Amino acid sequence: MRTWLPALAVGCVLALIALGSVLVLQPGSEPTAARTDALARELRCPDCQGLSVADSPTASAQEIRRQIDELVTGGATDDEVRAHFVARYGEWILLAPTAPLVWVIPFAVVVAGAGALGAWLVSRRRPLHGSPVRPSPEERRRLREEADVLDA
Amino acid sequence: MIPSIGHAAVLIGLGLTVYAAVAYVLAARDGDPRLNVSARRAVIGSFVAAAIGCAAMIVSLLTHDFSVRYVAENNATTTPPFIGVISLWAALEGSILFWALLATGWASLLLHRYRDRYRPLMPWVGATLATVNAFFFAVMTWPGNPFALTAPMAAEGNGPNALLQNHPFMALHPPLLYLGYTGLAVPFAFGIAALVTRRLDEEWLRVVRRWTLIPWTFLTLGIVAGAWWSYEVLGWGGYWAWDPVENAALLPWLTATAFIHSAMVAERRGGLRIWTSAMVIATFVLTLVGTFLTRSGVVASVHSFTQSAIGPWFLAAILLALGGSLTLLVWRLPDLAGGDRPSGTVSRESAFLLNNVLFLGLTFAVLFGTLLPLLVAATSGDTISVGAPWFNTVTVPIFIALLFLMGIGPALPWGTASWSTARERFTVPLGLGVAVTASALAIGLREPTSLGTLGLATVVGSIMVEEIVRGARARARSRNEGPATATWRLATRNRRRYGGYAVHLSVLVMAVAVAVSSGLATDRTVTLAPGETATIGGYEITHDRLVVEPLSSDARVIETRAEVTYAGPQSGSLGTALRDYPNSQAAIATPAVRTSLAEDLYVTLLASDQATGTVTLHLFVNPLVVWIWIGGAMVGIGAGFAIWPERRGRRVTVERPQRAPAAVTIEGA
Amino acid sequence: MRHLRWLLVPLVVIPLGWLLVSGFGRDPREIRSPLAGRTAPEWTLTSLDGETLSSGDLAGRPYVVNFWASWCIPACVDEHPVLSDAHRQLGEEVTIVGMLYNDRPADAEAFLTRYGDAGYSHLIDPDGRLAIEFGVTGPPETFFVDADGIVRDKQFGPLTPTLMAERLATILPSAAR
Repeated sequence: MRTWLPALAVGCVLALIALGSVLVLQPGSEPTAARTDALARELRCPDCQGLSVADSPTASAQEIRRQIDELVTGGATDDEVRAHFVARYGEWILLAPTAPLVWVIPFAVVVAGAGALGAWLVSRRRPLHGSPVRPSPEERRRLREEADVLDA
Repeated sequence: MIPSIGHAAVLIGLGLTVYAAVAYVLAARDGDPRLNVSARRAVIGSFVAAAIGCAAMIVSLLTHDFSVRYVAENNATTTPPFIGVISLWAALEGSILFWALLATGWASLLLHRYRDRYRPLMPWVGATLATVNAFFFAVMTWPGNPFALTAPMAAEGNGPNALLQNHPFMALHPPLLYLGYTGLAVPFAFGIAALVTRRLDEEWLRVVRRWTLIPWTFLTLGIVAGAWWSYEVLGWGGYWAWDPVENAALLPWLTATAFIHSAMVAERRGGLRIWTSAMVIATFVLTLVGTFLTRSGVVASVHSFTQSAIGPWFLAAILLALGGSLTLLVWRLPDLAGGDRPSGTVSRESAFLLNNVLFLGLTFAVLFGTLLPLLVAATSGDTISVGAPWFNTVTVPIFIALLFLMGIGPALPWGTASWSTARERFTVPLGLGVAVTASALAIGLREPTSLGTLGLATVVGSIMVEEIVRGARARARSRNEGPATATWRLATRNRRRYGGYAVHLSVLVMAVAVAVSSGLATDRTVTLAPGETATIGGYEITHDRLVVEPLSSDARVIETRAEVTYAGPQSGSLGTALRDYPNSQAAIATPAVRTSLAEDLYVTLLASDQATGTVTLHLFVNPLVVWIWIGGAMVGIGAGFAIWPERRGRRVTVERPQRAPAAVTIEGA
Repeated sequence: MRHLRWLLVPLVVIPLGWLLVSGFGRDPREIRSPLAGRTAPEWTLTSLDGETLSSGDLAGRPYVVNFWASWCIPACVDEHPVLSDAHRQLGEEVTIVGMLYNDRPADAEAFLTRYGDAGYSHLIDPDGRLAIEFGVTGPPETFFVDADGIVRDKQFGPLTPTLMAERLATILPSAAR
């Protein structure tokens, strides 16, 4: 029981860190200018290589930024803004894929890998043959004393 | 004349590498030392051939010999000599020639140095390296001939890619990267040799350690140099866009780093044979995959070239290398399954193994994201994008976990750690981390990623510093040395460990710089008439005037420049421009960056109106960016420190005595 | 059972090979247009000659919208004669309209002077708004709209005579070819 407790603790900490960073990186509902910026970072500049509309200096990127601003101040939700451009360019215009599976797969792989590693490490520690020797209470007390001396 | 010499050199290189590969295989089976020598000489000869080829290309570039198609496409009469020389690696065919030079260089160096050692392994190492190099010479002979001629010869060439001319740093970035890529074939060759000869104990790992660290260092510096170039030159204000070509460089780096760590475990404790062999194969295959992705045109990228005949060749090479190595691995699986296994669930070994899982997870994620558009297009015909938002969300948590592990790992002992050891080692650092995060919150820092990274970095950094201080103190006490002397002496006698500390601390510096610069960066786009002012961060930016004129260094280039004065934590004047190169359809941005240790002021020109002199500027204040580059350089220095041989007495090579002569005369009795 | 492990090799190599091979022959920058089968965007724009033209004027007949630019070399230069020929031969059945993409009118005029003006209108798209409506990623891109105003086909990249014939077939009634 005690042997896997540290591993569990480390795993929990890592999971919390991961969860925290994912949550932190989600866009929320914010004032208009921030929303325009956030949306501009999600949309791909049509005539660049992979840059977002927020980062790109081209004329088409600037025009798309203007349109995002118009739509947002006109009351459109984030989803409606995205849908507006997807209707014209297809899913390609979104820099991040929409299918949830695509987001889950990398984390699933890491968790599976860590799990496999943990299982492998733990499986190794089980005694291979014979039954474990059981110390008598006297022996156990002595063992504890010796161990304390060493750890001090 | 010169092109013919170059082409002949390539053909000779092909012949020599093929001969060397065959000779080495025969030498391995027969044990004939003369075959070994002859094969080694052939490899060195292939290096000379590659050097002659490169020299011929450079001469053609400098003399503007437009009869050579590569020169006509990448050079012009107005091209300055320096740019002409670095154009060797500017485009496809020349870059393969340069690659061949470096690859044959590594092979020659390695085979010469170990000509009298590791006799069972070296012929197979030589055969592998020669085969790989033969592939590159073959590509230059058939689909990608750098010395292909054009007729009729044009009077003027296209000139180099506009992006190359804008910054002298182009000289450094590809060579560093290529030194890394080509060097990573060496550990692969040793892995193959170990698998073939069944010498799967830890010997090959020991030999390979330095030969992995050196190319790893170059690859790291090359990637950081690429990021620096992207930031300083491209003008979009960032340094990493998760473009396929960037990912292509990152992928082998990730597996190489994983290999370095798991090799340490395997070397020390044995075992992990399947894993280390798989890692070294993956690293090499990924260098080919990366090169393929950027040269084949199957994935759209900033760097990609249009689809050419080279693509299928690289694909064949990838599949052969992967298929062949995997077959060998599977074949030797029974021999690989032996070896000890690491102890304790909580120990340095398990931390290193978790590190490998995380690095492999990152590799999978980056590969998945890069190839997903291809997969979707192949199956459904739809086009999707996988860009920075996805990559950032997926990789940042894994990087943070790795950062955490980076602090814990070296603080855990080899073997089993007890919970009480862990408690005593981590309490103070954890406390410090909480204290620093609380202070940052108190002074007004709210951005979560920056806060988190700062706190984590404090914990990790203090663990490392505490390790160093404890060791130095013990030594200082026992030998009566001053603290600085003690630390230095300790470090130079434990180069691996202290080099490792230096590299990890530098990575920490980079991590904090990356987190803070992305979390706390501010930017705005403003349109200013001459005389108008805008503010950003602590700066006041005043647009003075718009100037349109040809470049003094190259009159064919028209520069539209906004001249701007700025005041604040830094003050002065700058010019940010858009340059119109005759051979480029889009204008090339030339951002102005004013760097201080605390922050960068970054100004790009987006648009201008010549009639009114009005300009649209994109202004950025990016905190701590310079520490990314400083950190990168420090990683190089730290790795160099680890690689530098330790002064532990002179190395004596003991020759095994030659076989006793057949006839022995016994005098006397 | 022992030999099952050999399956690993084809299991890894074949899918990877298939994936990477599938990319050949396809331009990774070409995106499938979501406009296919939908009504073409409407517009009212000014031509290089100063006249105003709107999509409503073209209703009832198939038309072709070709996004191009004077700086788009050599692609737009290569496809220019193909479009000019189509206008000369089929101008009665299908209207061809040029649309400037991120270009200066003066430069576009110079292009037409140099490479020949077949006589069909070239419209100025201020700020590139119409290009965004059509989902254009860069010139040349050409859209084929039938007589009912539905987008039937799109050409990504320069047109060749063969491609032109193929695409026109989707919007022309089968009698006229």
